[in-house]
Amino acid sequence: MGQLTLKNIVKKFGTIEVVKSVSLEVEDGEFMVFVGPSGCGKSTLLRMIAGLEHTSGGDIVIDGKRVNDLAPVKRGIAMVFQSYALYPHMSVYENIAFPLRVERAPEATIRDKVEEAAKILHLDQRLEQKPGMLSGGQRQRVAIGRAIVRDPEIFLFDEPLSNLDAALRADMRIELTRLHKQLGATMIYVTHDQVEAMTMADRIVVLNAGYIAQVGAPLELYHKPQNTFVAGFIGNPRMNMLPVTGTKVSAEGVEVDFQGQRLLIPVAGHKAVEGAPLTLGIRPEHIQIGRGEANMTVTPNVVEQLGAQTIGYAPLPDREETFCFVLPGTQTAADDKPVEVSFRAADCHLFDADGQALERTGSFS
Amino acid sequence: MAMFRNDNTPMIDRYRWWEIALIYCGIFAFLFFLLSPFIEGFLVSLKPLSQLFSSPYRFWPENGSFAAYFSMWETVPGFARYIFNSFLISTVATVIVLLLVVPASYAFARFRFRGMGLVLAAFLAVSMFSGAVLLIPLFRLMRTLGLLNTYWAMIVPGAAFLIPSAIWLLRTYMMRIPPELNEAAYMDGASQFYTFRRVILPIARPGIIVVAIVTFIGAYSQQFIFALTFNSKTEYMPLPIGLYAFFGKQDVVWNELMAASFVGILPALVIIFFLQRYLVGGLTAGAVKQ
Repeated sequence: MGQLTLKNIVKKFGTIEVVKSVSLEVEDGEFMVFVGPSGCGKSTLLRMIAGLEHTSGGDIVIDGKRVNDLAPVKRGIAMVFQSYALYPHMSVYENIAFPLRVERAPEATIRDKVEEAAKILHLDQRLEQKPGMLSGGQRQRVAIGRAIVRDPEIFLFDEPLSNLDAALRADMRIELTRLHKQLGATMIYVTHDQVEAMTMADRIVVLNAGYIAQVGAPLELYHKPQNTFVAGFIGNPRMNMLPVTGTKVSAEGVEVDFQGQRLLIPVAGHKAVEGAPLTLGIRPEHIQIGRGEANMTVTPNVVEQLGAQTIGYAPLPDREETFCFVLPGTQTAADDKPVEVSFRAADCHLFDADGQALERTGSFS
Repeated sequence: MAMFRNDNTPMIDRYRWWEIALIYCGIFAFLFFLLSPFIEGFLVSLKPLSQLFSSPYRFWPENGSFAAYFSMWETVPGFARYIFNSFLISTVATVIVLLLVVPASYAFARFRFRGMGLVLAAFLAVSMFSGAVLLIPLFRLMRTLGLLNTYWAMIVPGAAFLIPSAIWLLRTYMMRIPPELNEAAYMDGASQFYTFRRVILPIARPGIIVVAIVTFIGAYSQQFIFALTFNSKTEYMPLPIGLYAFFGKQDVVWNELMAASFVGILPALVIIFFLQRYLVGGLTAGAVKQ
């Protein structure tokens, strides 16, 4: 079993609160990803679960047992470090065998377990080599092998792919997902890369400045972000935020005034939003060229053509952020020429003045 | 026209012929200053004694021979013993220093504790004093401890004065070992001591060898002053004191003295040559991604 519960976890460094009362349930066998911008406390949270940092408050419970004061081994946890942390003077075999040597396992057991792990990770041919002779991806696999041989209930990964190049990262992502299926163990994975989060996670925890901004399945975060932070963080390029005013609330949704146009956005509203300033969120990939339900004219000053897509960036009058739109690669837009774009009301998100989302009522599957 | 150039020489390494000539002139000038006492010493050891005081003085020996290298053993019969003493004193001092310094510098490199900066600064301050300044207090200390006229009288102060710089040297090396390795070992259930023995020590080996070499040379060269002050027994005397035996009542047997000096540093050279083979660079390659 590898069930983990965090209850009101707090971490202070001096007077600075890095993690502020985080509570979370991780189910047995789940692939949970912690994601957030740098400095949001995700690595600190992971190191507290690992037992490398003390908690300033709250309980860490694994399989019903409070483990705050237990050493990492006693928690049934293994960790893979961002920098691999391999022992450079030992062969790959000895690196993987290290945890078993520490617990004085018999030689035959060590050999069986190391060879089994090496087979899973395609390292059979490398066992006699030193880490210095391996490529980045192979080193990372050795680090994972060292975690596997201990049969932990919970695996912790601290940005394990961030030192690899883009192509290798994509391969390792697939391999880690396969490994998770094969081992069936609980995995907690920290990353700042939302592609890793979206592709690998069963559920994602989005952290912001020490708080949990939202917990949910990847597509749930994409379709129903609960606040402007998650809306802006998940999705690339980030969601466009436009000021609107609420006009009328009905059973079908909330009607807003967007640059003089009336839009009925299918969200669950309440009376308080009538006449209130709101934020309308629209993802760049939901914008087309030409007239539609909601229209606006923008002048892109940078147009990126990626082949599969064309991305345009247009400054908005009196606003800091630029307006971004993604077109199919076959379409193009000229620099510094006004272009008329439009989007559908059903694709819109609506946030109140505090940045909290009004829940979208459409179905997304 | 440039010399020493082929197409594979990077642009930054290409020089004109006169630049290369200047560089080599500089190298030879410095080398000559550095090595001339040794060259002269070696040439003296080859000359017959009579030729040394001939005038005009000749730099190159006439009918030079290695005779002094054989006769020296008869002039000073105890000379082999002096070499052995030097060797013994330096070796024991080096072993003591390493036993104390390796764990100490690990602690200074890895842990943060109260008063650490103060202790490190104190070590630096201690090594600013030369042993000579402290000879009188040291003499009283040795007498109280009853160590006068023993090997320990030369080993203990020798080791003590070498410890501070050795700690600073090895601490710097140990700080370069990534702390993630400690964390990884801790995650795998290893105790502090197990991690130190199985992970840190092997990685720190080149640093430890450098410290061993520096300490050995230091102990070899500084034992003179302690031997002169704390020891009056001939049979415990180290090499530098032993060389005094070639100073006769009337005159100095210069050629044998020079020969003895060269023979005397031979054991130290052998040790250093042996140790430096274990100086492998790049031992931390592949530990962490930097």
